[in-house]
Amino acid sequence: MFIYRHRHHHRDTETDKTSLADIDDGQSGTIVSIFGGRALTKRLADLGLKEGTQIKVIGKTLFSGPVQIEVCGSRLALGRGLASKIIMELK
Amino acid sequence: MTDEKKINIVLAGQGNSGKSSIFNYLTGLHQHIGNWAGKTIEKLEGTLYYKGYTIDVLDLPGIYSLTTYSVEEVISREYIVTQKPDFVIDIIDSCNLERNMIFTLQLLELECPVIIALNMIDLAKKKGIEINCQKLQDIINVPVLPAIASRGTGLTEVIDKVIELKQGEKGFTHLSYGKEIEKCISELSDLLHDVNLPYPPRWIAIKLLEKDRDIVKLVREKKPEIIEKARQLNENLEDIHGHDSSIVIADERSHLAAQITRDIVKMAPHRKLSLNERLDIITTHKFTGYLVMILILGGMFMTVFSFGNRLSSLLDTLFRNWHGWWNDNIGITFLASLGWSAIEGVLALIQIALPYILPFYIILYLLEDWGYVARISFLTDNLMHKMGIHGKACISFIIGFGCNVPGCLSCRIMETKRERFITAVLVTLIPCSAVSVIIFGLVGKYVGLLWALGLYVFAMIVVFIAGKISSKLLLGEPMELIMPMPDYKTPNLRTIAYQTWDSSKEFVYIAAPLVIISGIIIQAINLAGWMPAISSFLNPVTVTWLGLPSITGILLIFGILRKELILVMLAAYLGTADFANALTPQQMITLAVVSMFYVPCVATISVLWKEYGWGKALTICILEILFAILLAGVVKRLLDFVF
Repeated sequence: MFIYRHRHHHRDTETDKTSLADIDDGQSGTIVSIFGGRALTKRLADLGLKEGTQIKVIGKTLFSGPVQIEVCGSRLALGRGLASKIIMELK
Repeated sequence: MTDEKKINIVLAGQGNSGKSSIFNYLTGLHQHIGNWAGKTIEKLEGTLYYKGYTIDVLDLPGIYSLTTYSVEEVISREYIVTQKPDFVIDIIDSCNLERNMIFTLQLLELECPVIIALNMIDLAKKKGIEINCQKLQDIINVPVLPAIASRGTGLTEVIDKVIELKQGEKGFTHLSYGKEIEKCISELSDLLHDVNLPYPPRWIAIKLLEKDRDIVKLVREKKPEIIEKARQLNENLEDIHGHDSSIVIADERSHLAAQITRDIVKMAPHRKLSLNERLDIITTHKFTGYLVMILILGGMFMTVFSFGNRLSSLLDTLFRNWHGWWNDNIGITFLASLGWSAIEGVLALIQIALPYILPFYIILYLLEDWGYVARISFLTDNLMHKMGIHGKACISFIIGFGCNVPGCLSCRIMETKRERFITAVLVTLIPCSAVSVIIFGLVGKYVGLLWALGLYVFAMIVVFIAGKISSKLLLGEPMELIMPMPDYKTPNLRTIAYQTWDSSKEFVYIAAPLVIISGIIIQAINLAGWMPAISSFLNPVTVTWLGLPSITGILLIFGILRKELILVMLAAYLGTADFANALTPQQMITLAVVSMFYVPCVATISVLWKEYGWGKALTICILEILFAILLAGVVKRLLDFVF
């Protein structure tokens, strides 16, 4: 069947930290950390995505497609694999 | 003294900021498209005559940031720094103020005279975003003017401002980042003051902290000890923040952008969702989104086909008696026959090609201007991942349906070389509007619409399989999608008309001479009686393997120039555009399949050559020729069971 691109679900049950890929539609949270290299982190920062940024999940597509988020009043589409590398703290 | 009446400005801004609408509005028909020296990137320039001034306007390539390494970004910042335009008009999408502000901050670091146009201020108001222009002007100390590019509102004021400030001094303030960052910047820029470089010292200092490869190299050649100092400062910053220093700077910028935005924006608390926002929810929804996409794309092809068919038939009746008239009045001499071939070629171009190409471009640019193309990327990202690329490639694919050349060029939006190449290869397999002429005008018209649609589905399956194979052959991790989702906006008919005119103009200018010349050559070969000899050379492939008439051999050779020539030349050769007499349905489908895949046209090959080198371009051509011949032969044999 459909193979998930992101193999690692960063879900920490003790605190309420979840990867962006696992947040339900309509929920908001704050970025705690981003697992990624320099180039990726830099690109995200140029779009305003950094530790401490507030994000709202607008919606996801079927079959582990991208996640649409609202950040700094703009909307952005992020691949699901990338979303799973962004760790969030839920509000 | 004439110099005083001459001003040059550049337009800069992120994607979707409405930059091209503004460029078109300002320069209208006084524009010309060239290339950046040594690059295949379009250079858009135009001239505006206003209040006795001659204002040269340059549209910088669309960019998201001035720090990463895409060619467009380097071109833009080099131009601003070395050519020193009188003004940089920074076009900001008011609906996405904070993200655009990060770019503006980078522009201000370049210490060029900036005027800000807050575009789409009406849409922002609708979204409940109230922006205080005066306050923004006070904070960043550059003129800020509201604008609505789609209606042309506010643009005169921007140009008036340019003229007003042309005489006065152009000052700028340095916006300060955090304290310790500023300390690093000033330590470095102090060292840089006596180094002779074309860039402002403060900007170089920031780039050194960001570890910008080009700038580091430049400074190392002049004064290596500065690099050593920068390294110490970077390490220090990294110790404090626990991040790479380039990320510390980017964070700092986005922090400042957020702060400025907070200061100048008032959000309306509760309001109803606008129509466009509702549309966005429906068109990206996990179920309805796909449904709408299928309806829109299906509707697009149906419209192109039915409109094209009707117009094509109408023109057919119009041109029907011309051949007889020519024979009666000019005669049936050698020269007269050559002349008629040239005319028939042009008529066939008007009658067969334009009716399909025009509506296609209109709808394509309508969807793009409306903002729907990004939604297609969003919805198809997952499918694209299976081919080793991501959703943005879909934009190249859709452009490729119009013409493979801009389709291949647009592959630059992909982030890595590997993805760029895979996308370009797949684009060459997409049936462009010239191939659509064959699919619609031959198969759709004489065999059936379902067969024509079936060929498109077939092409998509071929693209998918080719993508699967190339992603396996070219090793590497697929990149992830990072794409801003533009707000829907009312399509601007003026912009659509410009873009359609631009694409069709090129089609007419390039295709018409080719049609005339190759029409005369084919007819001359025919009249000289050489046709059997040349065609028989290709007969083993065309007649024996593909079951096509012998004449198609030479048509396929001319088709390399432009694919629609295959059909147009056939009409010129037959002296009529009624193909039912010359080809069986089976032959029509086989010919369409060969034409779809057999080789990219000359223009596409030259783009592949420039972008990826002749080795890769040649490999693609040879592989596609072999593949198309093999595939079409198999299709022909399968069709034997149907017809």
